Amino acid sequence: MTLKLPEICTVDSVTPLWKQRMPEVGKLKAGEVLILDADSVKRYDGSAEALIIEVHRCAAAQGFSVEYRDAASVIAKTLKIFNPAVFSDHTAYDLPPRNTHTVVQVGEAAVRIWRDIVDVLAFLGEVVTSGLSFLVRPGRLRLRDTMLCIERAGMDALPIVALIGFLIGLILAFLSGSSMRQFGVEVYVADLISIGLFREMGALITAIILAGRTGSAFAAELGTMKVNEEIDALTTLSLPPVLFLALPRVLAAAFVLPFLSIFAVFMGLFGGFVVLWMMDIPAITYWQHVFNAITVNNVLIGLTKALTFGLLVGLSGCSHGLHAKRSADAVGQAATASVVGSLVLITIFDGIFSVLLFILDI
Amino acid sequence: MNDTVIEVKDLVAGYEGRVILKDISFAVRKGETFIVLGGSGCGKSTLLKHMIGLHPLLAGEVRILGHRIQGGGVAEREAAMRSFGVTYQSGALFGNMTLLENVCLPLESFTDLPSDARRLIAEMKLELVGLKPFANYFPTDVSGGMKKRAAIARAMALDPQVLLLDEPSAGLDPVTSAELDRLILRLRDTHGISFVIVTHELASIFAIGDRCIMLDAETRTIIAEGNPTELRDTSPLEKVRTFFNPAARQG
Repeated sequence: MTLKLPEICTVDSVTPLWKQRMPEVGKLKAGEVLILDADSVKRYDGSAEALIIEVHRCAAAQGFSVEYRDAASVIAKTLKIFNPAVFSDHTAYDLPPRNTHTVVQVGEAAVRIWRDIVDVLAFLGEVVTSGLSFLVRPGRLRLRDTMLCIERAGMDALPIVALIGFLIGLILAFLSGSSMRQFGVEVYVADLISIGLFREMGALITAIILAGRTGSAFAAELGTMKVNEEIDALTTLSLPPVLFLALPRVLAAAFVLPFLSIFAVFMGLFGGFVVLWMMDIPAITYWQHVFNAITVNNVLIGLTKALTFGLLVGLSGCSHGLHAKRSADAVGQAATASVVGSLVLITIFDGIFSVLLFILDI
Repeated sequence: MNDTVIEVKDLVAGYEGRVILKDISFAVRKGETFIVLGGSGCGKSTLLKHMIGLHPLLAGEVRILGHRIQGGGVAEREAAMRSFGVTYQSGALFGNMTLLENVCLPLESFTDLPSDARRLIAEMKLELVGLKPFANYFPTDVSGGMKKRAAIARAMALDPQVLLLDEPSAGLDPVTSAELDRLILRLRDTHGISFVIVTHELASIFAIGDRCIMLDAETRTIIAEGNPTELRDTSPLEKVRTFFNPAARQG
């Protein structure tokens, strides 16, 4: 068999040889001869060099011999630079599997979520310790950073919180109003929205927004600082990263969420008002029902939940950011993990609140 | 003129209308190691980024193997882009890919070669830079010098005739830096690759530079052109001689 290399032996002309002739080379047996004809080659590139090496690799594996026609010394030069024996191992660089079985993936995800929860709780311990050192020396907390975090997490989030809060109130009112109207009690939609938003939905919806908007930003910001070795620099300056970077963010998240939550509640109540106004319920009746339904307990429960959820979002974001690996890919993973972790923690703690409130009959 | 691989003519470079470099004209010949040097902030990296089309030229023209990088059609730009490889100061390897996958990436994107062939070519490029045993490592698992070598392997994946290296020695110890210099010379000699290297490392400049241009932050243009050793010894400009003889300046 003869394998003739073309005059311009570059990737465009070598590709057909790889596809059409190399399978034939792969079938040659011991004792057969392959003539590798490079006499006419005038220009060649890495793909031609690879073809020459592949021929030698096949010859070594299958036992056939190779004869050269190498007027331009293309083969000789290639073999001088590359030793075919070095490339004989096909399996040495098998890439790690990217996709495993679904069951394994589910199991791994469960373990990851459990570890996330443990990590966040451990991180809470670190933050509390740092918080205590802040109490001893209040000057160590970067007040300017904390205020900036409050502005970014709180003030800058007002438009999206307003929109989502308004729409949630609107949707709740539509869903419940259309059913209650059949019984002529649509005016009680106001009570439902008021209790639902103050006690549950306000804190929950705002926490989800905070997790997606601010928690992920914390994780990405701290992860990037880790990649840039800024965290290492802080450590070597004896400035604990948790106190210097995490505490302002966690405090900011915990501080702003109750306010955002109350804002979302009022926007939701306004959304409900619009629907009931469309159902010909007088404004005064609607607001009377709303304020009658508000109790101190409901407001306090909502605020406690908001404070807790804010704390969890801040902890999850900072924990994932500070524990990120040192690559761009890892920063993205940290941001994603912080959102997932926040949502899982919010759900778990919301469940705990529900059980506790049921037991305490509040 | 046939042996010119890069031609820069009357180039004005800058950002948002602010001129950083002006009246830049030079040519890089086939198979030579061409150094762009100068003090910090003189616009070396700016020049490189304008040459490779990352930023629009304010004026002038850059041709790589005769193709205009800007000002021509899409086909001409693509032909120009395919004819060179670039490495950046940090190596700029993709962190979620192994070294082998990094080198394979351009081959997957621009050729129809079967996967076995692509992998063998990538392995051979890594072998050229002495990194084949680390093919399955991720960039975070290798040293700074290895990252730079892997970046060169990736830049060579499509067998460009010109390689442009931005500060290849930055952050490397003298031994690793010297190894990298030897690699550059070996690739130039075995594969006939022309190199354009942005650096201010004197040891590298004298070890590998055939010719150089020196940029000046004050005048914002080229103040010297020629062989580095000759410039050091015979340049009429004190600024140039001082750059090449920092010990004399200190003394």
